[in-house]
Amino acid sequence: MKNFFNKVYFWFDDRVHLESLVEFMGKKYVPIHRHSMWYYFGGVSLFLFIIQVVTGILLLFYYKASTDLAFESVQFIMSKVQFGWLIRSIHAWAANLFIFSVFIHMFSVFFEKAYRKPREVTWITGALMFFLALGFGFSGYLLPWNQLSFFATKVGSDIVGAIPLIGEPVKIFMRGGNDVTGATLSRLFGFHVALFPGIFTFLLIIHLVLVQRQGMSEPLEFETKKPVAEKKKMPFFPNFMLRDLLLWLIVLNVLAILAVFFPAHLGIKADPFSSAPAGIKPEWYFLFMFQTLKYFPAHIVFMEGEVLGILLFGLAGLLWLLVPFWDIKSSKGKQNRLINYIGIFAVIFIIVLTILGWTS
Amino acid sequence: MKKLTMIFFIGFIFLAANYIQAAGDECFNCHDAQGDNPSELFKNDIHHKKGIPCSGCHGGNSKSDDMDAAMNKDAGFIGVPKGNQISERCIICHSNPETMKEYGADIPTNQMELLSKSVHGRLSINGKERIVQCITCHNAHGIVEVTNPVSPVYPLNLPKTCAKCHSNAVYMRNYNPALAVDQLDKYRTSIHGIKNAKGDIKVAECANCHGSHGILPVKDANSSVYVVNIPQTCAKCHSNKSYMKEYNIPTNQYEEFSKSVHGIDLLEKHDLSAPACNSCHGNHGAVPPGVESISEVCGTCHALNAELFSASPHKKAFDEHHYPECETCHGNHGIAVPTNQLLGVSKGSICGKCHTPNENVDGYKVAKHMRLLIDSLSYSEDFADSLINNAEQKGMEISEAKFKLRDVNQAKLEARTIVHAFNEEKFDSIVVKKGLATSNIVISEAQNAIHEYYFRRVGLGISVLIISFLAFVLYLYIKRMERGK
Repeated sequence: MKNFFNKVYFWFDDRVHLESLVEFMGKKYVPIHRHSMWYYFGGVSLFLFIIQVVTGILLLFYYKASTDLAFESVQFIMSKVQFGWLIRSIHAWAANLFIFSVFIHMFSVFFEKAYRKPREVTWITGALMFFLALGFGFSGYLLPWNQLSFFATKVGSDIVGAIPLIGEPVKIFMRGGNDVTGATLSRLFGFHVALFPGIFTFLLIIHLVLVQRQGMSEPLEFETKKPVAEKKKMPFFPNFMLRDLLLWLIVLNVLAILAVFFPAHLGIKADPFSSAPAGIKPEWYFLFMFQTLKYFPAHIVFMEGEVLGILLFGLAGLLWLLVPFWDIKSSKGKQNRLINYIGIFAVIFIIVLTILGWTS
Repeated sequence: MKKLTMIFFIGFIFLAANYIQAAGDECFNCHDAQGDNPSELFKNDIHHKKGIPCSGCHGGNSKSDDMDAAMNKDAGFIGVPKGNQISERCIICHSNPETMKEYGADIPTNQMELLSKSVHGRLSINGKERIVQCITCHNAHGIVEVTNPVSPVYPLNLPKTCAKCHSNAVYMRNYNPALAVDQLDKYRTSIHGIKNAKGDIKVAECANCHGSHGILPVKDANSSVYVVNIPQTCAKCHSNKSYMKEYNIPTNQYEEFSKSVHGIDLLEKHDLSAPACNSCHGNHGAVPPGVESISEVCGTCHALNAELFSASPHKKAFDEHHYPECETCHGNHGIAVPTNQLLGVSKGSICGKCHTPNENVDGYKVAKHMRLLIDSLSYSEDFADSLINNAEQKGMEISEAKFKLRDVNQAKLEARTIVHAFNEEKFDSIVVKKGLATSNIVISEAQNAIHEYYFRRVGLGISVLIISFLAFVLYLYIKRMERGK
């Protein structure tokens, strides 16, 4: 057996010179310190994304994106297709866990200031992928074409429409018309299975290549205060990779338990002529923004409260994306406590507002 | 001689009384002297008897025998009132309780208020006045009390008074072309109309059901003949034991009806398609349906049941025995929701009344078999329903089977209809081939879903074990590998 693998290796090595790659991987190390555990969430996010791609492709075999057939095709997947219920439930749960994992990964990078020079592009590609992940969630939510998803999309796109100047055209572009219709379903389906995955894969490749090329970022105190000889490290291959694999297996177990005990429900088919269900709420990852907008008064000075809220979230998102460029202190290797305070505020804000939104 | 003296004396008293009354009404005196029709009629008018002069309605000065002074417009003389002016003259007194009390009248004073809101209070086609004025029904100069048999609104005269307009097709099409104009003709064929024609003032005439001054359109929910209000309107008389005593008919119809399937639908759920009294008995031509026409009456709504019954062997048998068709099994005013218990030969069943093990044996066997089948279908439906609920509670996607369960219920409803054909073969085809067959499919699908639920749990357990084992092996491998270094 070993001979067989050796033969295969040499066959490829003879043609594409794998030796240099193996040598590169052999020299790649992961620093060991008290915050090392956060490194694993990048891998978990990648694993969950792969699950999304695989289960998404399987769902595509049966899903039909039209108002007449979308709900029925999902119903068919859930009741008639062998293990269709499992694939859909895993897809739904993995989507939530993916966004949760991305949140953790992004905040750990933020608190470690891992975005500082020379990793600005890695941060930007990561932040863009986070926004795309939210886009995946929004576009995928409508696809079963049930009552809840229909009205949630209506409310969500209405909020987008409130953005000054560009809001209305963006809303019409998203909906494929003035209202949420079959055109919206086709459009969001296109975004969900083609446009977003395409852009995401492109960003992911850049992100991974940069991580491999630049190696793992070290925390400031670890990087500057410890002499190189005292720094603990472990080989990326196979040690870190096997630990990653171990965590992936645990995540897979959690995913299977969630999918079986809490399978994805279908609800009732969307009826555009019915009234919106009472207490309609977006998915949990949008809840903090949705809840915040509720607290804004109708008018603040010269503009609508909701519009101001949306603009503030837009500004916060932009500042978040560009943090490597305004946090000059960290890039110079100095401690910047302000960043810690901003991060703590953001985490508390998101958790509290999400809980308030959930319980209201 | 004594008799002659007495006649002379009475005549003198009568003339004196008339003289005293007319003494202050110079208009009447003059017109009476000319012998014109209005003054002739006015002699018997209640208003004349109460001492109300012509000027009470026509204005002017009745006390003056000078025509110019009596009919002086400055003194308020209006001549013959026109249009709404007519009713407006009446309400000067009839809307004023104080004035009415002065004349010793205890009649209501809201007639005009009611009339103006009624269907008759709408504008006539000339757009200038109400359709109906007081004199349209009560006459002008010969107005007498309602209890006076010569009054046009006396119960025996009222149908004819209303018919003056309502039987006039040319007139009625100006206002409501869709409204029938044969009410009087139908009324005269009804029990009410026949007794009314014979002089019975207690039986219902137009005003008893429709009201008098405040008559509203039938479609107005406040109308006494609005479909939901009809049972109460009929019950005013028909539930009154003392009032109905002399007619010797039951007075519990409303009580029974209000508890019946029809009554609950109409009175509680306000289902306007549910029948009221008139749906079966007719309205203007109200009579109890004859024994042989009951299925026709019920059949106006339950058409298929009636058709099946008419073609069944029971039709002839019922006619021969003079059994009231539908009523024999279902009752009349207190019809309850039919249950399986009606069918069969067990205690409480209807069929067993005629079909016994010794008498009409074939029917006995068929009824027994039919009951067994319909009970099986009901049991099977309940079982399928409980399995579906169980599967749903377990979070299984079972909507298709749930949808099929409707077909089982549909088959049960069809069976309850086809039973009126009293044909075992037809009944079997619905219950067995349609109902039980579908029910078995639903049961099977629901059981599969429940089985699938447990299969998923077991599958999860095995998967978790395998993945956990792999993770554990990997953990040990990592530990060994890192220890080795």
